Parts: sequence; C-alpha cells; structure tokens
Amino acid sequence: MTTIHHADPSETMESMPAQISMPYTLTPGQATGIFLAELRNRRLIGSRHGDGTILVPAQDFCGSTGEPVTNFVEVAAAGELQAFTTTARGTIGMVLIDGTSTPFVHQILQADPAALEIGTRVEAVWAVEATGTFLDLAGFRPAGNPNTFEPRESPGDLAEPLQQVDYRMTLDYQHAYGQYYGTLFDGVKNSRRIRGVRCSECRKVLLPPRSHCDVCFAPTHEWIDVKPTGTIQACSVVHIEFIGQRLTPPYIYAEIVLDGSSTRLIHMVGGDAANADKHAVEPGNRVRAVWSERRTGSLADIEHFELLPADEDPS
Amino acid sequence: MTSSTPGRVAVVNSAQTLLTSSWSDRQHIDLISEAVSRALKGTGIRLEDVDFVIDSGSDFLDGRSISNCGFLGAMGAHHKEESRVEEDGLWSLTYAANKIACGSAAVGLVVAYSKPSESDVSAFWTGLLEPFIQRPTGLDQFSAAGLYAQRYLAKAGLKADDLHDVSRRAWERAARNPFVDVDEVPDDRSFWFEDVATPLRRSDMARPVDGAVAVLVANAEVADQIAKRPVWITGQGSAIDQHFLAAREPDSLPACEAAGRTALRATGAASAKEFDIVEVSGTSTVGELMVLEALGLAEPHRGIDLYRDEGSSGINPSGGALPADVIMATGLARLHEAASRLSGRTGSPQDGLDNARTALVHGTGGFAMQNHCVVTMAAAS
Repeated sequence: MTTIHHADPSETMESMPAQISMPYTLTPGQATGIFLAELRNRRLIGSRHGDGTILVPAQDFCGSTGEPVTNFVEVAAAGELQAFTTTARGTIGMVLIDGTSTPFVHQILQADPAALEIGTRVEAVWAVEATGTFLDLAGFRPAGNPNTFEPRESPGDLAEPLQQVDYRMTLDYQHAYGQYYGTLFDGVKNSRRIRGVRCSECRKVLLPPRSHCDVCFAPTHEWIDVKPTGTIQACSVVHIEFIGQRLTPPYIYAEIVLDGSSTRLIHMVGGDAANADKHAVEPGNRVRAVWSERRTGSLADIEHFELLPADEDPS
Repeated sequence: MTSSTPGRVAVVNSAQTLLTSSWSDRQHIDLISEAVSRALKGTGIRLEDVDFVIDSGSDFLDGRSISNCGFLGAMGAHHKEESRVEEDGLWSLTYAANKIACGSAAVGLVVAYSKPSESDVSAFWTGLLEPFIQRPTGLDQFSAAGLYAQRYLAKAGLKADDLHDVSRRAWERAARNPFVDVDEVPDDRSFWFEDVATPLRRSDMARPVDGAVAVLVANAEVADQIAKRPVWITGQGSAIDQHFLAAREPDSLPACEAAGRTALRATGAASAKEFDIVEVSGTSTVGELMVLEALGLAEPHRGIDLYRDEGSSGINPSGGALPADVIMATGLARLHEAASRLSGRTGSPQDGLDNARTALVHGTGGFAMQNHCVVTMAAAS
C-alpha cells in the first residue's frame, strides 16, 4: 500500500489531500477465468447448473441455488435488452443472452438512448485489441437481426482459465484537520510552536490535541505550549527499506515525551552525535527538535530530534 | 447451554450530531466524541459502566485501514471490549442487543459514523462490486438505481415525475428536523428535473452527509433504573440478497421482506402496519418505495399511495435517508429518531406522533441495497 501525503503549496491548515493506491493481482478462478480467457477468441462461455439454468458469464456456482457448474456451454453473442439507464458515464444495460437464464450488466454502445426500448435486440461489440479483462467484450449495440444460436456444448478447444487479472485501486481523499489539528499545525507552520491540550480530569497534556481525553473521556479545555525538547522513551534502529520512507536506513526511530506533555510522539533521532553510534542512543536520553526549512504545517517540519548536550539542557 | 430465556434489552438513550453535507472543520473523532458524550449525558451511566463498544464505519470512506483503531478514544472504548462491524450501524445495534440479551454484558454503546465528504462516494460504492465482470462496466450506485427504477416504474405504471411526491415529503420533513442541515425544500429546477440515471433525477437519489450517531443499550435491570421510559427492542431480522445486480429481482427487495418477516415473527406483530412509527433507509426514491412494499406497508408497486394521503405521517417522520444518508450510520440514525420519539425525548414535535408507542426501523447496506436489517421497538407504557 502506498500512502502519499502531497505537500501542495496551496494547502491550508484546514484539510489535507491524500491518496491511497493499492495494486492487486486478482484470481478469477475456474468459471470466470474461462469466460475471460475466451473473450480473446470472441466467444461467450456460460455455465450449466443442475436444474438446467445457464448463466453468462460462466459461474462456478449458481447464485440462487448454489448448484455447481456441470458443464460449460458456448452461447450466442446476441440477446435482448431487459433494462437500461443513461448517466454521465454513458448507457448501462442489462442484457439477456439468447437461451440463458439471467441477464448481466454491460455498457450499451453506439446507441441513441432515446431509441432504445426494453426488448431491443443487441449484439456484442468486441474490443479491437484483447487485454485479458472483461472489457475485451466492449459492450453491446442495437442490432436488427443479430447472428444467434441456441447454447451449445462447450467447444473441445476451450481455453484454460485466465490465471490473474492485474488491478489497481486508487482512492483520493481530502481529510479535514478540524479545530484541534488545525491549531496545532498552524502553530507548527507559522511560529514553530507545538501546542497540546490539557484533560480537565486527569490533567495530562495530550499531543496531538483533541476534544476528549482518550482515557478519561473527559473534555479537554486548555491549550498548553509544549517544549521542543524531550526524553526518549523507547527507540529502535530501522534497517529495512519501505515505500514512503523519508530517510535512508539505517536511522533511529523513537518515542519521545516532549517536556510539558504526557503523551509519546513518534519521530526520528539524528544529528552527528546520534549518528556516530546509533546503537548507543537509548531510553532516557534527552533530545531537542531540529526544525527543517520546510513549512508544511505538519510534524514533518521537524527534520529530526538531536541529542541534547547536558550543558544545554534547559530542564 | 446457559439460560434459555434471552434477557430484555432497551435503548436507554441516543444522540446524533447535525447531519450535514460537509463537516469540513471537524474530524471523524470530533463527530464521534460529540455523539458519544451526548448519548451518555444525563443518563447516570458513566463510561466505566459501559461494558463494550460496537461500531460501524467504512475503511474505504475513512481512507485508512482498520479505521476504528484510531477512533477508539473518541468512542469511549479505551481498554474496553470493542468490535467493528463493516455494515450500517443498525447491524451493530443488533450485535450489541444480542450480547446483552444472552447475559454476557449489561450496558453497551453502539456508534456509527461517516464523512463521505472526504472522498469520492462513487469510488466507495463501486469498490463494493465484484471486480471481474461488474466493476469494469462502469456500473455505479446511480446506474444501479436507474436500472431498478426503469423496471419498477414500468410495472407500477408510474412516470418519473410521480416520484416527486416521495422526495418532496422527505425533504419537507428533513426541513423540520433540527438535526439535518436542510432549511427548506430545494426549489431549483435542476434538482427536480436534471437526469442522473434515467429515469431518475437528482431529487431521486439519497444525498450523502457527514455525521455520527451513538446509542446506549442496557439490560432490563439497568434500563428500569435509569430510563424514565425505556424503549425495548422487541424484534430483529436481517437478510442479504445475491451480489450480482442482474440476478436479483427487477422491481422488489426479497431480502428486505425476509428481514422484516423475521423481525415481525419475534415481535408477534401480524403486519408492519401495526407500528406507530416506521423509519426506513432508501438510497433512492424507488428504493424507498420497494422497502415499504417489502415490509408489507403497501401492495407491490403501490407504495406511492402512502405519499398521496396524509394518513401515513408515521412513515419517516425524520425525513428518512433521501435528504440525509450518513452512509454506514443511516439505519442507526433511523433508530435514534424513532427511539427518541418513543421515549418522549424529542419534546412535542406536533406531528401527531406524540403518543407513538411502537416503531419499526430499517437499515440497508451493500451495493444497491443488497443487505437489509429490521429492528422493532416498543416503549414502556
């Protein structure tokens, strides 16, 4: 999974664009695999089930009865339109292939929607170039008298099932920061100020700020300035690489309790002193924020934390 | 086997945030903590009295995986038993009720929320589709509703304009509902006549909104102590249709009918018509009509009659899902609306429902209303 947080210069402290994009290798299985593989040969393959039901596209099991497929049949690339609707994305219809039991949904092409009717005869439109997806059958178009035949027993040269369909799902978001994160990120961006909130019950100072304390569920009321110095609570040297990493491994990842706060902040520890012997960095070490040149209004505006020499420790 | 008699379960309080097209200045956690704190307020129940939290939301809509993990604090679930249901909050409610009914807990909190304004809602709906032979066609929530509508209207002998009766009533009632951001019925021509998925117009499609709902449920011992007028859960049922849209019935919702039948059997009611309040979730006007018919409130293809006489004021007094569809929380919002009225918590809404004692609530989920859940309730007299 790749998560990208764009640092758009037009970004305000009100919301954050984000995109999740995930690659998949989908496995269609036997019946759908055969159906998809045969589209390359411009043949429609259906499945026959116990009671004589014929489903197109072919299915391993009948969705109504649960009956498994008994054998595959070739059906005509022609049928009739049972329903249709037109949206901004085009016309979508339900097509019942001749001699089969259940319609399926596909695009209706090369048609004036006003001229379509329930019962209009249609024929397949094939993609010019096959790519190994359902869209090798591009859709259906009206046809006065399409070439048709009764379902016939599966051809001897039935294709092997398609093994894999590559797919990528990409989703875009605009996440609202809300009042609490907005105030924190405004302070970080414009005045390099880190602000938490105090719980009205347990009096702990929470970072990031929020309306209710996670533990007490009491409201938080008071904004508290937190210092850019703190103490390492736990740390680890990261050696592996992964997508979205800001630093090149190895680097030190740490939980840091900032002075004046009660919660742990996860960030990186760097600088000459720490990098000289990464494994010498340990819980209890004092650190301070090293601000970056970036002003994006997130905690990534802190380049990293560096070890704080004892004689410069304000505490 | 443990005790064979299930214990009685009541809704003791509930709350929702304002439902609005975009809560652009609030995070999910802000909406959730507002609903949860208001559901607890004034009940005498403190968070430490709550045994468990069950919540509904969608990782797709939230834009993060296992999104409930980040929302635990806002839900009041710190160090508690917590479980996520990837379905409308009405399903969460039934899980919570059953957990209490079997005696393993006394008090539960049910939370449902969403912020569809943060993403492309069509991507959410098409993400539910089987990816090999349905998703590549461009089928989405609009075209699915249009396909149902074309066949339904033909069977019912209705025109697209007739559906205005359904949406007008929904929006009129939403305008009177202080928890929906609707001040008046839209009067622009494009809303009523712009085709979205022929024969459906914009006015026929549910409007996605942001919001959160929280419901506090308890066993009889607790409910009798703390609630002036506990609202007892008297029946529940759910059923799912097959996934492939083209393989479903063309103009009716048999899964909704099955869910309603199961709930009525538990309640002992002969018909859904016996309930003073009915709150249903339709993702389109035709969807709402098919739900009312599946529940037995109208004969097949005659649901429109319920909008032509004023006698049916008990159906969706809140406005229903058309003006305010909090995807993943809409069914639970319906339950909150009904339970508030039954318990007298809404004050005097002056819509003839002041003496309502029983309610039937419906929620839906999945692509193009594949899944249905029905819960019935009765207020203590």
